[in-house]
Amino acid sequence: MNFAPPSSVPPVEASIQVRNLSYFFGRGDLRKQVLFDISLDLHPGQIVIMTGPSGSGKTTLLTLIGALRSATEGSLQVLGKELVGLGDRHLVEIRRNIGFIFQAHNLFESLTASQNVEMAVELTGNFRGKRQQAVDMLSHLGLAERADYKPAALSGGQKQRVAIARALVNQPQLILADEPTAALDKQSGRDVVTLMQHLAQERGCTILMVTHDNRILDVADRIINLVDGRLESDESPQQFVDSHAPKALDQKMFIM
Amino acid sequence: MQRTPLALLNLIHDRKKFLTSMAGVAFAVLLMFLFTGFKNALYDSQTQLLEQLNGEIVIINRLKENMFVPRSFARRRLYQAQAFDGVAGGYALYLSDARWKNPETNRTRPVRVIAYNPSDPVLTMPAVLALQQALRLPNTAMIDSRSRDEVGPRETGVITELADREIRIVGTFSLGTDFASGNGNLIMSDQNFLRFFANRGPEETERSFATADIGLLRVAPGTDIDRLVATLRDGLPQDVLVLPMDGPEGFIARERTYWEVNTNIGFVFSLLTTMGFVVGIILVYQILYTDVADHWSEYATLKAIGYDNAYLFGVVMQEAIILSVLGFIPGLLISTLFYNLGAAVTGLLFQLTLGRVVNLYLATFIMCLISGAVAVRKVQRTDPAEVFGL
Repeated sequence: MNFAPPSSVPPVEASIQVRNLSYFFGRGDLRKQVLFDISLDLHPGQIVIMTGPSGSGKTTLLTLIGALRSATEGSLQVLGKELVGLGDRHLVEIRRNIGFIFQAHNLFESLTASQNVEMAVELTGNFRGKRQQAVDMLSHLGLAERADYKPAALSGGQKQRVAIARALVNQPQLILADEPTAALDKQSGRDVVTLMQHLAQERGCTILMVTHDNRILDVADRIINLVDGRLESDESPQQFVDSHAPKALDQKMFIM
Repeated sequence: MQRTPLALLNLIHDRKKFLTSMAGVAFAVLLMFLFTGFKNALYDSQTQLLEQLNGEIVIINRLKENMFVPRSFARRRLYQAQAFDGVAGGYALYLSDARWKNPETNRTRPVRVIAYNPSDPVLTMPAVLALQQALRLPNTAMIDSRSRDEVGPRETGVITELADREIRIVGTFSLGTDFASGNGNLIMSDQNFLRFFANRGPEETERSFATADIGLLRVAPGTDIDRLVATLRDGLPQDVLVLPMDGPEGFIARERTYWEVNTNIGFVFSLLTTMGFVVGIILVYQILYTDVADHWSEYATLKAIGYDNAYLFGVVMQEAIILSVLGFIPGLLISTLFYNLGAAVTGLLFQLTLGRVVNLYLATFIMCLISGAVAVRKVQRTDPAEVFGL
């Protein structure tokens, strides 16, 4: 199955190009295929939401694209680099160009909001301007006054925004997010995705997000549905709602 | 601007846990200090009298394997030795154990009597030199102020019995006890020594000036001591042993080696020190492992965003080193208190030399490094892919 990019997207080079990617867990008799022959292109400026039942392989695909696992079969190009067959050391290099947002904020309780963000800046070797860069990014996310607070003094939404600041501070061209709103209330979750939407538009970066949160499907340019390790559909949110919603359900249930 | 000091901040974030961690390391340090302290005190104490003796060359009975063996040699050997070129003077030292009656409880305790001619500068401690004249009076002695409490008051003016004969204390000096000294030390003149020990009844050895226990030789300035020792060994009859005072083959080193080799002190206390070391490794490992386990997802996130294993290794090792320093300092301070207490109670010599402090710090450092190296494996095995879907 090869899904061509929607015609509305300008023909620029894809941030992510996946061709015939398969992936297996385990070895020998326990070897189990979790991804089957996936082909996919993601373009700059796109927000792509990946959905699917649990166990469908979406987190596996996300970690492969994020250079957190090494792929062995097929082709996986991220930001112009082929990841298949790359060693751990090179994978670490690739990861530095990707912004990761996790379901849990994973902030160090011992560091202030600013220091947590600075940890990411230090990866670029910019020690002199790191504080300024971190505070700028936090201000951008409305946390200017909270820069010197430790996570224990921040609300859930604020912590997730600090984690997003950490993911974005180095201005990555690719952002991978795993259930970024799952731990947040409705309003905070909405704020977070709106923010990501702005960033995709301002900076032209690609955002790939795994989520079960129906409340935020509307921010997506594309929705990819993965079932049992295979790409089942690749559609716009409207198509997705039309094809997935039982007729009795109002599409407003999904787009709020 | 520097790198964010993650290791330090992680360690001190939780104050209560941090203080507990420090106390743990300090405890391991204290254990090591106490056990090496006792070992060293027992060894050091054996030689503290010898180190006070004023002479470069020593003559003793060949059978006097250590200070505990009451073998004396013919004093004429000392005069024979003085005939050799380079020998500037020779002094005889007499030693004997005697029963000392505690004037307060009237119970007798063994003490060691050190005697010599007060005209000879055998012991050059100022307190002793100042009382040379008083020591010449009959039945007088000076008492070691660091004798054990069992001997009663250690002060000038005490009148009691030594070897069933009245004795008057005319002054005090400071030396300390060891295995051979019993409960304390007395210094008296050679004349008084004869008064007390010449006729002690049928069961005790009779002492006279014909024999001495230790012969001390002073050498003329510019003399090659090793060569003179060799000459004396050739020239004197084989019933005496001639030794230099200092050096690896010297009298002091020989005494120390005897106690090190022929007793279980070294083995027992080295074993206990090693146990302190192992306890330390386990404690520090627990501390570091807990830190890693508590921050597992944060460390995995660092790996996910592009930090490599070397960085995480560095963080855990820094934590180990910070713990080794911050635990060592209170450990050292408490140990100093215990050393002073130990010295006061036992009269043994507890020495805290710079070399010993440095050695134990190195041991602490290595202890923390080993713990760190074991704990860091947990972080290094962290699979950053697992942060997704947590």
